[in-house]
Amino acid sequence: MIRNKKLFLVVTSILVLALALAGCGQKPAEEAKGQKDTIVVAQSADAKSLDPHATNDSTSSNVMTQIYDTLVYATEDMEIQPGLAESWNQVDDTTWEFNIRKGVKFHNGEELKASDVKFTLDRMMKSSKVSHIVEAIDSVEVVDDYKVVIKTKEPFSPLLAHLAHSAAGILNEKAVKEAGDNYGQNPVGTGPFKFVSWEAGDKITLERFDDYFRGPAKLKKVIFRVVPEGTNRTIGLETGEIDIAYGIEPIDKDRVANHENLQLIEAPSLGMYYIGFNCEKAPFDNKLVRQAVSYAINPDDIIEAVLSGSGFKANSPIAPGVFGYNDKLNRYEYNPEKAKELLKEAGYENGFKTELWISGSLANQIAQIVQAQLKEIGIDVSIESLEWGTYIDRTAKGEQEMFFLGWTTVTGDADYGLYPLFHSSAKGSAGNRSFYGNPEVDKLLEQGKVATDIEKREEIYKKAQELIMEDAPIFPLFYKLQNAGTQKFIKGFKLHPAGHHKLYNIYFE
Amino acid sequence: MHKYILHRLLLLIPVILGVTFIVYSIMYLTPGDPAQIILGESAPPEKVEQLREEMGLNDPFIVQYFRFIKNGLKGDFGRSYSTRRPVFEEIFARFPATLKLTIAGVLVAIIIGIPVGIISATKQYSLFDNVSMVGALLGVSMPNFWFGLMLVLVFSVTLKWLPSGGDNGLSSLVLPAITLGTSAAALITRMTRSSMLEVIRQDYIRTARAKGVLEKKVINKHALKNALIPIITVVGLQFGYLLGGAVLTETVFSWPGVGRLLVDAIRQKDTPMVLASVVFVSVTFSFVNLMVDILYAYVDPRIKSQYK
Amino acid sequence: MATAKKSKKNKKRSQWSEVWRRLKKNKMAMVGLTILTIIVLLAVFADFIADYDEVVIKQNLKERLQGPSAKHWLGTDEFGRDIFARLIHGARVSLKVGIISVGISIIIGGILGSIAGYYGGLIDNIIMRTMDIFLAIPSILLAIAIVSALGPSLMNLMIAVGISSVPSYARIVRASVLSIRDQEFIEAAKAIGASDLRIVLKHIIPNTLAPVIVQGTLGVAGAILSTAGLSFIGLGIRPPAPEWGAMLAGGRAYLRYAWHVTTFPGLAIMTIILALNFLGDGLRDALDPRLKQ
Repeated sequence: MIRNKKLFLVVTSILVLALALAGCGQKPAEEAKGQKDTIVVAQSADAKSLDPHATNDSTSSNVMTQIYDTLVYATEDMEIQPGLAESWNQVDDTTWEFNIRKGVKFHNGEELKASDVKFTLDRMMKSSKVSHIVEAIDSVEVVDDYKVVIKTKEPFSPLLAHLAHSAAGILNEKAVKEAGDNYGQNPVGTGPFKFVSWEAGDKITLERFDDYFRGPAKLKKVIFRVVPEGTNRTIGLETGEIDIAYGIEPIDKDRVANHENLQLIEAPSLGMYYIGFNCEKAPFDNKLVRQAVSYAINPDDIIEAVLSGSGFKANSPIAPGVFGYNDKLNRYEYNPEKAKELLKEAGYENGFKTELWISGSLANQIAQIVQAQLKEIGIDVSIESLEWGTYIDRTAKGEQEMFFLGWTTVTGDADYGLYPLFHSSAKGSAGNRSFYGNPEVDKLLEQGKVATDIEKREEIYKKAQELIMEDAPIFPLFYKLQNAGTQKFIKGFKLHPAGHHKLYNIYFE
Repeated sequence: MHKYILHRLLLLIPVILGVTFIVYSIMYLTPGDPAQIILGESAPPEKVEQLREEMGLNDPFIVQYFRFIKNGLKGDFGRSYSTRRPVFEEIFARFPATLKLTIAGVLVAIIIGIPVGIISATKQYSLFDNVSMVGALLGVSMPNFWFGLMLVLVFSVTLKWLPSGGDNGLSSLVLPAITLGTSAAALITRMTRSSMLEVIRQDYIRTARAKGVLEKKVINKHALKNALIPIITVVGLQFGYLLGGAVLTETVFSWPGVGRLLVDAIRQKDTPMVLASVVFVSVTFSFVNLMVDILYAYVDPRIKSQYK
Repeated sequence: MATAKKSKKNKKRSQWSEVWRRLKKNKMAMVGLTILTIIVLLAVFADFIADYDEVVIKQNLKERLQGPSAKHWLGTDEFGRDIFARLIHGARVSLKVGIISVGISIIIGGILGSIAGYYGGLIDNIIMRTMDIFLAIPSILLAIAIVSALGPSLMNLMIAVGISSVPSYARIVRASVLSIRDQEFIEAAKAIGASDLRIVLKHIIPNTLAPVIVQGTLGVAGAILSTAGLSFIGLGIRPPAPEWGAMLAGGRAYLRYAWHVTTFPGLAIMTIILALNFLGDGLRDALDPRLKQ
């Protein structure tokens, strides 16, 4: 035994020692929350990079929107307001002049100059991930230290909306060049919070920037924590470990709303979720079949059962908050009898077998309801659940028949919401995964891009939506409400429809 | 013995090559285009093609694989497709968390598993034996996420004793370690019990007992020593398993470990990240295996004789 | 000659009836066997208990997440489907997944492990290093890769789960072969000129059965739980087919509101595992050649 005991002790103590060593690198637990000036924000995934030109995902944007400012920005009501540009004017159809705010400081102490704006936009146009946002821009010229001129290739009305995209945050030329390949981990902006540290997979810490041009924020520190499970974000709110949690699970909403210390904030988003049909593949190359399926799906069931009411029925591919939205469209109201008639007319009296491609657990639940509803009209749907990577690759190649996907019109302009999804030139990977093509729609979408008269533009897009809904390349299911749970003492927090929320105005009470 | 260890370390080289080759083939053969994934859902085809070319994805498989090996030999494992950070930087940032959790989990498992297993074996069919065997069965059959969530609900939400997630000092390690250690403990308990029972029935134990050796000494000195090989095997396997496979526990406790990193990387087809983390986990695991084999020799001189 | 053959046959038969006789004496094993038999019978006659199209996969959103009642004995799930009916039909799927995938790993792992342990030296090195390679690749990656390369289907799921635990069985078998092969009775068999194959089949494999059975019975549990893990990441079997692991995973968001949605599938899994283990333990005792005298 002596030897065995020794062995047992040796092994155990090695493990304990190793544990102690591994623990050494650990920073002391967060300081006691005596005087509260730090907030912990939980989101479902870690940021990928804090270089706005290196990624375009919403978790990264949610951090970057605190660090960077854009030339102009969209309010929570989607109104364009001056940002780093204090004013602008459109010289002619393709020329825009921006006056840069004076005395704005970057986090590294440099002053914002027109050259930084040019540097940023030039760099953005070369980025494979975000260049599509500024692809209308032809050139950026520096007039003097505080004035830039942006020229577009063609008249491009939604330019301001695009410059308000969080990916168009202005960088400091010197900081980017100094950091080189590691800029994504060492971001420098002009925003209300500056970057402090990043513990991969765990948290990102930001600190108040005292020289912020709108005046320092009231919060001293912001910690973004990664909490992948929705249930755990709610639990973290309940235990007080988390102050703001994005994306409360539908089922947990009432718990947060009814909790004595917590509040639930809900707001419309610019996202639309849809069932898409591959218009180049039988039987969905037949408009009647697409319409029949549209009549046979009841989004109310989905909104009720899967979203616990956090959404409302969609009648258009773009959400009501988007410029150009048409509220007069006829939607396909749930009507299985009509669906059967249309199927009969299309020659599929006895239904058919098809596949519905999905990715993710929300999609899975929705797909099961769609599957059950289509069974009622004789369509036998098999659900193919794929990894996200495989899914976007194979749907871009057009292998799918039916698919479930969402689209967020982040710019708040119909161009961004319709062109990639329905223009025939965007078939496949560019966004038109239903492989829809209608010359009339193409023409309208092209006109909308260049039209300068606001009313005329709106009319063009309304017409386009009518044609699209008639052709039914997709069936818009619902507009999702976005939500967040916060501690009750958090005040001044608003959800932005584009999905990235500013923390600058938060104060405690 | 030293020669043996050196020999085993050299054997790591083909293991690593084998691992990289298999993983590279898997990543190459499974559907999904990294360029498309990097650029997102709305990228124009010509941009995707341009990026494919830049990334060398259009080269034949063998060319890509050898380029990877060549750069790897120079210590350059590339940058993650999704974060653009050097992959090892990312792994090293997250490995301490994984190591901490694994060690703590295995520790929980050993501390519970071995003593309970021994007592169960010596008192076969007693109340203690039956209770602990049922307990062990519940331990393996309980889904990790369910057990973890229960612990959180009791100890974080109701009692407010421990944090519900994140990596923040020792207190945050307790619940995940128990969650992770429970199923391993159950396995170790059973293995200890069954191999102790096996050994206890053998002639030399009977002889020892017949000679009048104290029961305690029979168990501890004669039986346990001979029962240790399968136990060590299971502990070693569990260590390796937990090292790369704690994804569910990591998810439930928002633990920033390598398991989640790896699964995310697989799902995004982040090949450099997948390769580097698999290589890293496999090297660590091979070291654990080596230690297990050295321990074999330590407990059983007959095995030691063949290491010469 | 004829008599010799006959007596050999008799001997073989009596060996198995001896095992069965010993097994019958073990109460726990019989409890396990009874539970398993009931589950198998339920699975076989599932269609008589609940209609697949009309009950098992039929949604009724008005009755979603209801607790146990006279109408729905075990309550309903998030789509208002009867959990009892789904469990009965799910037993088919889960039994198949568990047993076939463990079978795959035991057969491949057992063969590789015994060869490695018995021959030692270079062969051992080659096999075990290859196993190390596979063991070093996280099972989740192997499973995802196999499923996404072959497409998500029940068979591919079983192959994926099975293959990813081959190395564990190989190592366990090898470890016990190592501890046996230097024992005197093996040397004795070698001395009288028994062939390698005969020694492995007759002497070594029976002696490695105990740890393999222990691992294997728990492995069925593991396989069912791995399937649940794959269901988490959306690579389980195709909905709406019921499978215990997927039911378990699917209900986790409702844990705090509708406990029955995960609890009953969880209990079902625990019950089958308990039964398998009682039986496995009994079999181990009954099979152990050293208990014969």
